[in-house]
Amino acid sequence: MRPPETNPPETRPNGPPSIEAAGLGWRYAGRPTPALQDLTFRLEPGRVLLVLGPSGSGKSTLARALVGLVPHTLAGEWQGSLRVGELDVAATPARFLGERVGLVFQDPDSQLVMARVDDEVAFGLENRGRARTEMEAAVPEALRQVGLAGFEPRATNTLSGGEKQRLAIAGVLVARPSVLVFDEPTANLDPPGMYETLERIAELARRRGHTIVLIEHRLEAALPLADDVLLLDDAGRQIAFAPAGSVGRETAALLEASGAWVPRAWQGAEMGGITVPAEMAGAAQPGKGWGPRPEPGRVLLRATDAVVDYPADQSGKRRALDGLSLEAHSGERIGVVGPNGAGKSTLLFVLAGLRRPTGGSVGIGRIGADGEPAEDLRDPSRLRPDEIASRIGLVFQDPELGFVARSARGEVAATDLAARSRHRGGDDRPADADGVLGRFGLGHLAAQDPFRLSQGEQRRLSLAALVLRPPAVLLLDEPTFGLDRRGTVSVMGLLDEMRATGQAQILATHDPRLLPGCDRVVALDRGRVVFDGPPEEFLAAPPYAPAGPWRAGTAPAVAVR
Amino acid sequence: MSLVSSPLAPVRPDFLTRVTPVARLASGLAWLVASVVTLDPVVPIRLAIAAVIALVLWSGLPLRRIPGRMAPLGFAILSLTVFSILLSGANADRSVAAMLEFGPVRITPAAVSAGLAVGLRIVVIGLTTILVFGPSDPTRMADSLVQQWRIPDRFAYGTLGALRVAPFMAEDWTLVAAARRLRGIRSRGVAGRIRDAGDRLVVILVAAIRRAERLALAMDARGFDGGIRRSHFRELRVGWRDWLTIAAALAVAVAALMLPR
Repeated sequence: MRPPETNPPETRPNGPPSIEAAGLGWRYAGRPTPALQDLTFRLEPGRVLLVLGPSGSGKSTLARALVGLVPHTLAGEWQGSLRVGELDVAATPARFLGERVGLVFQDPDSQLVMARVDDEVAFGLENRGRARTEMEAAVPEALRQVGLAGFEPRATNTLSGGEKQRLAIAGVLVARPSVLVFDEPTANLDPPGMYETLERIAELARRRGHTIVLIEHRLEAALPLADDVLLLDDAGRQIAFAPAGSVGRETAALLEASGAWVPRAWQGAEMGGITVPAEMAGAAQPGKGWGPRPEPGRVLLRATDAVVDYPADQSGKRRALDGLSLEAHSGERIGVVGPNGAGKSTLLFVLAGLRRPTGGSVGIGRIGADGEPAEDLRDPSRLRPDEIASRIGLVFQDPELGFVARSARGEVAATDLAARSRHRGGDDRPADADGVLGRFGLGHLAAQDPFRLSQGEQRRLSLAALVLRPPAVLLLDEPTFGLDRRGTVSVMGLLDEMRATGQAQILATHDPRLLPGCDRVVALDRGRVVFDGPPEEFLAAPPYAPAGPWRAGTAPAVAVR
Repeated sequence: MSLVSSPLAPVRPDFLTRVTPVARLASGLAWLVASVVTLDPVVPIRLAIAAVIALVLWSGLPLRRIPGRMAPLGFAILSLTVFSILLSGANADRSVAAMLEFGPVRITPAAVSAGLAVGLRIVVIGLTTILVFGPSDPTRMADSLVQQWRIPDRFAYGTLGALRVAPFMAEDWTLVAAARRLRGIRSRGVAGRIRDAGDRLVVILVAAIRRAERLALAMDARGFDGGIRRSHFRELRVGWRDWLTIAAALAVAVAALMLPR
């Protein structure tokens, strides 16, 4: 039975509320360490707060607390107090908080509920029992605010990533909250999607109708929006709460030491107009790669006029690759960029031999028995199962999907074991899985279930699994997705090490920060190569619009103040 | 999944798209019952013809996509028909002349008729499913179940959320298979294959559960299950079209059963 209806307390006296934390702490049930510890700050009404911190600093937990998921929906141990205006979060039922606070999550695909755009926007109002006449007026208005007027009858799964995320914002705005919380709203988006989403957020910030809390790792675009910043360390403790313009070098250094990305304006070296962590900047020259690397040698990958057509669907036949040619040499790292739908995933699948091109050809070399790269190009889709591992490795954006064993040690040994079981006796190299784990900083986790590792550990393990039997060509899809600066530096360092054996690496990414670490950038658009050259040249003038987020800082429309 | 309407599929408004989903569901159930109460192939043939006529005239679905939607059932239809014919007890009846005889295999007309009846029933099930679920998206079905059959919100919209996760599971399944191929992991023998499939299932279930948890949090953050009685953006009323559809479906089912064979 439903509890009797009660009216929410008067939530909107005049304008947006303040947010005040006093000794706020939270530990999730079953976790040994707290996610947040002793936060104390006061955000004045109508201001924009940018929250910065490394992985595991409790940024998302703070977002969840503001909307009442913590402590009302998720289990754990609460300390101190958090107030949104006059509402005490711990003492207010989540649905009253929900009237006031709207939260936009990171992944557009796991926050949309309905199949149609207008139903999706109405969902939050239905949940609150609003009258139909009110909804009929509010839904189109919310869509208009995010630039989706006229999208009402569209199916949500036909929208682009940026459109989906704007729809998610509309679904939150429609309930007229006075506090908006954005938890990494652009992390899953391609550059155009990121641009259009940030522009909407900037517009909301400019209107001053809401108190806004923004968690965002595209710092150069987000920092100009912020009035105040909250800096957290890797244990969920507060480093500082301060006006955005007054963060001193020492404070920034503390943030950097915690492993987080740090805005260029505060610290860090400049390279090609992109923030580069100090470690990276010291080791590398633009376009020259980071570590020592063998002279570009033999061709290990050659795609010639590759064409891929997907079977006709509602939108007709779709050409995913349109005569694409690409060559990679041993020891070379190529960054592949382009908006969603440009053909990046298809290219990786074709290079991995998982999809045979409709036209053209693909050849992949191998690492010989002597450990030296050998040219010997072969069509990857026609390789025998026992020939594949020495030629091609593929690391997914979600490393979990690639795990094949129940322990970290088993994961590292799996490919080698499979190869040995086929060549009985012929191979007596010692397989030192524990040694590999040690080098990858996972030595203490050898017996752990891969699914129980942290995001950064999973990422390193997915690379460690490719060390005992190194492939000639390593294909990487967003290899640093979701990692903070420390995690990114660690992964890129490991990739350097792997490349030192002469491996060719193809790295597909939306993150411009990785490009200075590549020897070449190949930009795709509609299945064609639209740019192929050194990274600094690409970063200076990216070939597709909107160029904003690829450039230093961001486009003028996003930079409000 | 492909029998259920994909929201991608543009449906042009037509008679059946204006019929509330529960009325279509009730009509479909009548046909399913009719198709399974007899053992001969005549009733399913009649119902299949009626279903095709309804699809062509009133469903608003582009016909060229019907075979594609039936494709997943094609294998089941074919194999069940063939095996029902081969294994039918009617084949053992030596008093009836065989249509076909080679070695130990003997096929009688009665076996063919029984086998066709089995296969045709699955055809009717497939076509009826398309008629019930095809003309509107899953959201409408959930709305209709909640508003007209008083199914609890949490169940109906929870299922809707699960439907959103399903396509990602299919995608994950192919990625997991690809990862294993590239790592040189190969299963040998039947036991190995079963173990392998189990391992792959674990991986995609982990991913699906994580996704479902995120979706559940997002739904809760927007006030779902907040203890307030939900209102409905889209009101569904039962009208003359709905009663007409149910009456017509019942009439067709009765006629298919009663008309002389």
